[in-house]
Amino acid sequence: MRGTAIACPEMIKKRNGTPVPFDVKKIRDAIRKANEAARMEAISPYQFEELVDEVVEAIPDGDTPNVEQIQDLVEEKLIQNGFARTAKAYILYREEHTKLRKTEADLVKIYRELTFTSAADADIKRENANIDADTSMGTMLKYGSEGANYFVDNYILPKDIAAAHINGDIHIHDKDFYMLTETCCQIDLLKLFHDGFSTGHGYIRQPKSIQSYAALACIAIQANQNEMHGGQSVPNFDYAMAEGVACTYRKEYYDAVQRYFWLEYDCEKALDESFRVALKAAMPERIHMGNVDAYGENLVSWMLGEGGQMLGLQPDEADIRRCHRTSVQIATRKTDMATYQAMESLIHNLNTMNSRAGAQVPFSSINYGTCTTPEARMAIINLLKVTDAGLGNGETAIFPVQIFKVKEGINYNPGDPNYDLFRMAIKVSAKRLFPNFSFLDAPFNLQYYKAGDYNTEVAYMGCRTRVMGNHYDPTREVTCGRGNLSFTSINLPRLGIQAKGDLDAFYKNLDKRMALCCRQLLHRFEIQKKKTVKNYPFLMGQGIWIDSDHLGIDDQVGEILKNGTLSVGFIGLAETLKALTGHHHGESEESRKLGYEIISHMRKYLDEKSEETGLNFTLLATPAEGLSGRFVRMDQKRYGKIPGVTDREYYTNSFHVPVYYPISAFEKIQIEGPYHALTNAGHISYVELDGDTAKNPEAFEAVIRCMKENGVGYGSVNHPVDRDPVCGFTGVIDDVCPRCGRREGEAVSLERLNELRKKYPDVPVYLDANH
Amino acid sequence: MAGRVIAENGMAGENVKFDRIRRITGYLVGTTDRFNNAKRAEERDRVKHTLS
Repeated sequence: MRGTAIACPEMIKKRNGTPVPFDVKKIRDAIRKANEAARMEAISPYQFEELVDEVVEAIPDGDTPNVEQIQDLVEEKLIQNGFARTAKAYILYREEHTKLRKTEADLVKIYRELTFTSAADADIKRENANIDADTSMGTMLKYGSEGANYFVDNYILPKDIAAAHINGDIHIHDKDFYMLTETCCQIDLLKLFHDGFSTGHGYIRQPKSIQSYAALACIAIQANQNEMHGGQSVPNFDYAMAEGVACTYRKEYYDAVQRYFWLEYDCEKALDESFRVALKAAMPERIHMGNVDAYGENLVSWMLGEGGQMLGLQPDEADIRRCHRTSVQIATRKTDMATYQAMESLIHNLNTMNSRAGAQVPFSSINYGTCTTPEARMAIINLLKVTDAGLGNGETAIFPVQIFKVKEGINYNPGDPNYDLFRMAIKVSAKRLFPNFSFLDAPFNLQYYKAGDYNTEVAYMGCRTRVMGNHYDPTREVTCGRGNLSFTSINLPRLGIQAKGDLDAFYKNLDKRMALCCRQLLHRFEIQKKKTVKNYPFLMGQGIWIDSDHLGIDDQVGEILKNGTLSVGFIGLAETLKALTGHHHGESEESRKLGYEIISHMRKYLDEKSEETGLNFTLLATPAEGLSGRFVRMDQKRYGKIPGVTDREYYTNSFHVPVYYPISAFEKIQIEGPYHALTNAGHISYVELDGDTAKNPEAFEAVIRCMKENGVGYGSVNHPVDRDPVCGFTGVIDDVCPRCGRREGEAVSLERLNELRKKYPDVPVYLDANH
Repeated sequence: MAGRVIAENGMAGENVKFDRIRRITGYLVGTTDRFNNAKRAEERDRVKHTLS
């Protein structure tokens, strides 16, 4: 035996960190077992000893090695020596054991942490910042989620897929919902309202006022949110609210006309419903904000004849005109006020109404900006005003995510009918971070666009999700009623590290990973397909999802789900490039090209997969929230701290230039723009501005215009929005509040606050508990 | 978000933190307290972009 000549490490670290004496026998046993499992692959005794020696020899000097490192070496040496089957068996053996270690005891440990640790101390409770895991229902949700994850990992997923998730090659998002539902949906409010709907406890008729339109929009979002694991988006918010505004306007107008004749002529009959019905019936079309003059003429002739007779009056023409003019004025004012209140309660509701067992508010998004009717404009102007004003104490509203759709000819240039709304959106975003901006002129969005048809306007959901193209049914490349089914992300930096500069190896492994993800997405889709309408009483039962209105309660949803998307995502392009070339795409032209090639390669793979399956496989620029730390933690353990790659606590968001890299806003946009065209499942680019720059509307608009001109599909500007709850100041606070002068945690005298209130009416009023 | 601010002995705001609203991954969060560790680090590292 040659083994005696090799220098062995003295100690080895177990998985829990305790050092134990190194025992070469364990390596032998492991290889032998794997070889036995592989069968049909003979390893001679000499080869066997040589292998063991090679492994031991490869253990680096210095630090005490850990079990994982040695197992990596065993894998590597088996492959190098051509024992492919044994290597495969060994990998499976490792994976099995990884899973076995995650035993019931682990689940109990997780439950303990969830129960006895506060969210401030437990990262596991802050995986998603929109869930308050300190509340009872938040913890209950986590119990369920962790239990479901355990079940899915151990009993549902194919073994290699479970292992790939557990070891961080890929990340299956919302895995706790694997057996249950889909990610998100774009809700056509108009279709829902026109048909009337039921939330399961009674039927709701078509709403008749802007207040009801807004209230029901919230209910629809909430009901759907409870049946899906992602967010909910309204793609046509302005088109939908316009109808509500029109309802209120008509009602207010008729009320005003009736009151006019009652007051001016002391004619009580004018208040009768019969007069109103007759008036409505006599007019060739209903009054709306766009036909006021023509309607006035018709009113004059009707009141001079039949209408006057009905009331027993003979009003003169000038008086009827005055009636019309004042009624229009009253209706406009009252509708405007009602719309403001409706938008205010919409924002308040979406920040307070709970969903999912009370642990979070619905993850809601609303898209608007392209509808040019006066009613739609009134809705959006008021929405923006409300957003600007903030919540009850002037706080910035967190939900809904607001998305302003930028479109040439509609709102982009001076002279466009909604240009004023675009300017207003910029002003509000500079104060409140919302709205974000989406760009319908980006070629990949423009190709679907038909003027005036909201169903052809690309919408975005919350984090960035985009659903438009349709391989399954090319005649249905529409926004409404569709969404993402599920998505899985690839740990791209790990592939970059493993390639050791060899691009061929990188692409080969990338393809393997893509294949694994597609197989996993299809595995999940098979489960989703078998669900029936009754599993989704609202989403499918009320016809929200496309074509679900043609299904019966016990029908399977598999076929109509094919209109949704199956998405593969990625994070850390920057770190990947750093690992491959030493530079990320912010730093070098060459890496920029390579980055574009890599992401193009992924997109092409998914396009081919779509062709092959007739399903919608799309590429996602993953929003990585929990994931941003998960992958890098594992890679740090495996590969140590590689500068620019694994040396921070997070991997960079999707294709972004790293947040720490100093670069001009315009250059960042130019670099990131091209990736928007490739990531058809969704994308977003951010620019970080300081508080003062953000408040300069020209500077802000220049950034948005730059996004539009560089093919960005969806973007937004980040800037600090701080608030001092004590004096009510909103703006940038460094260490000291610029209004009341206190530092964080310090108290201010009520005297001073009373003084400040004279100048700033939004300073809260306090009742002194001890006076 | 901040809880209720209570005034005592003619003073208000003791131990009350500032709200710091930040965009996390497309959506806003009322306070960075709810960010997970990785996202806190990322938020800390963010540099402002110039307009030149």
